[in-house]
Amino acid sequence: MSGATPIAVGSAPYETLLVERRGPVGWLVFNRPAAGNAMDATMLDELERAWRELDADPVVRVIVNTGAGAMFQTGLDVVQLSRDPDALRLQARRTRRAELRLSAWHNGVRKPVIAAVNGVCAGGGLHFVADADIVIAASTAELLDPHVSIGQVTAYEAIALVRKSPMEAIMRMALTGRHERISASRAHQLGILSEVVDPPEALADRAQALAEDIARNSPTAMAATKRALWAALELGLTDACRAGSAELVAMWGHPDQTEGPLAFTEKRDPQWLPLDAPPAEGDRP
Amino acid sequence: MTYSTYTCLKVERHGPVGWLINDRPEQLNAMSATMRDEFATAWEELDADPAVRVIVHTGEGRAFQTGVDVREIASDGVGMERYRESLETFDLHFTAWHQQVWKPVITAVNGICAGGGFHWVADADIVIAASDAQFFDPHVSIGQVVAVEAIGLLRKMPVEAVMRMALVGRYERISAERAYELGMISQIVDPPERLREEAQALGEKIAKNSPAAMAATKRALWGALETGLTDACRAGAGELVSMWGHPDQTEGPAAFAEKREPQWVDPQATAAHED
Repeated sequence: MSGATPIAVGSAPYETLLVERRGPVGWLVFNRPAAGNAMDATMLDELERAWRELDADPVVRVIVNTGAGAMFQTGLDVVQLSRDPDALRLQARRTRRAELRLSAWHNGVRKPVIAAVNGVCAGGGLHFVADADIVIAASTAELLDPHVSIGQVTAYEAIALVRKSPMEAIMRMALTGRHERISASRAHQLGILSEVVDPPEALADRAQALAEDIARNSPTAMAATKRALWAALELGLTDACRAGSAELVAMWGHPDQTEGPLAFTEKRDPQWLPLDAPPAEGDRP
Repeated sequence: MTYSTYTCLKVERHGPVGWLINDRPEQLNAMSATMRDEFATAWEELDADPAVRVIVHTGEGRAFQTGVDVREIASDGVGMERYRESLETFDLHFTAWHQQVWKPVITAVNGICAGGGFHWVADADIVIAASDAQFFDPHVSIGQVVAVEAIGLLRKMPVEAVMRMALVGRYERISAERAYELGMISQIVDPPERLREEAQALGEKIAKNSPAAMAATKRALWGALETGLTDACRAGAGELVSMWGHPDQTEGPAAFAEKREPQWVDPQATAAHED
């Protein structure tokens, strides 16, 4: 891996995630490889904490989200769901109230998020593809959505994908269930992701390098750009442009706007200001 | 279930797959007033047939669909005026989406798809095409406006391609290959003669999934085109939760663990549950 030695991030250790910093890049790694990185109750709690810690860490400029082992993410842990449904009661309530806290988008993360899909991404794992800003994948990665094959409805994750990529492919994935998969190369053609990494072992290095490139841009300008572009999925075109204009103007007078052109003419790297303090707990995007 | 007698359509069932076939090949399957009325009935009948789990829509002859029958419009003295009220009130009934069919719908484009033919591309869940299929929208070349079907497409695929097709009119065609690249369709069937066979196979594959879960998923995903992302997710959560406690949710994991095909609840019997 390029960049500095990994440094652990966070106030307390994590059981189901690896959360660390490599240079300016924060890494959030699903770490239940023996369970296909499925989300159990502990991971669901830890995800919320990890996104917030990485978003608040002033050294972290960009966040990479990937999985340990052969799979990226395979959704809710159905083994735990069948053995101990009570453990998932909080999540059930959050689903009912549409208050999920799994993904960066759910947690209002302001920094750029790259999903690096290292293998199979199934069902609820698609939350992390749908809700990332940038998606890259190992050439061996595959997407599928088995919900309807086990009598479950698919909603959130496919709804966001429908807004971000050609709908027919997403609808086909949702309705064929476990009987079909989308390959990394087809996902690339469709624009669900922007880069296929081959050989697949090179994925983590490529994600780190891409994140380091992005980390060279103004954190404040990227946060405002992110807000403007995600808002385009909430509103009609004219309203989205109006809201986007406000984001644009809000940045006028910010020191980064003088520093950027100056560094360019002086042929040096700009010294950006860090992001302002994160919003209070509980704020929604 | 016995279906009505149709003059412009064929309505059939093969196993769990219901077939709706445009059957005016001499007129390139153009939609006459009669055909338009028959569509409304055909979608309702296939949706109501408990043996049908998935619906495939295709056409006889060298065209899939070429929109309103221009010859009829030009010669019958009534013309488009016949449709004024239905358009002014947006009260249409000729696609699965218009008729709120919540079973999965596959459009299998067997040849030319032109103009109003895009209604059934825009309003299907899944679209596959024969390798010799061609797509174009000649509305503006004959002084007509294109709106509803192109609006549906704009929400489902890259906008530029749809806008170009709408403005170039009859002077350019999109190939099946380009339609696949753009994500307008998900499968090209070659040789083209195998289209129906492949559509039936895809239909049977989809018919293995829980009908109740697919209906709720369809509602959630089509809802994503109606509102902003957050509101769509909120509505989707409602669909998701509505399925909790449904027998399919126990049967699905049980069948998976026992390595057997799941026995889903009859979709018609769940109608009350869904309402």
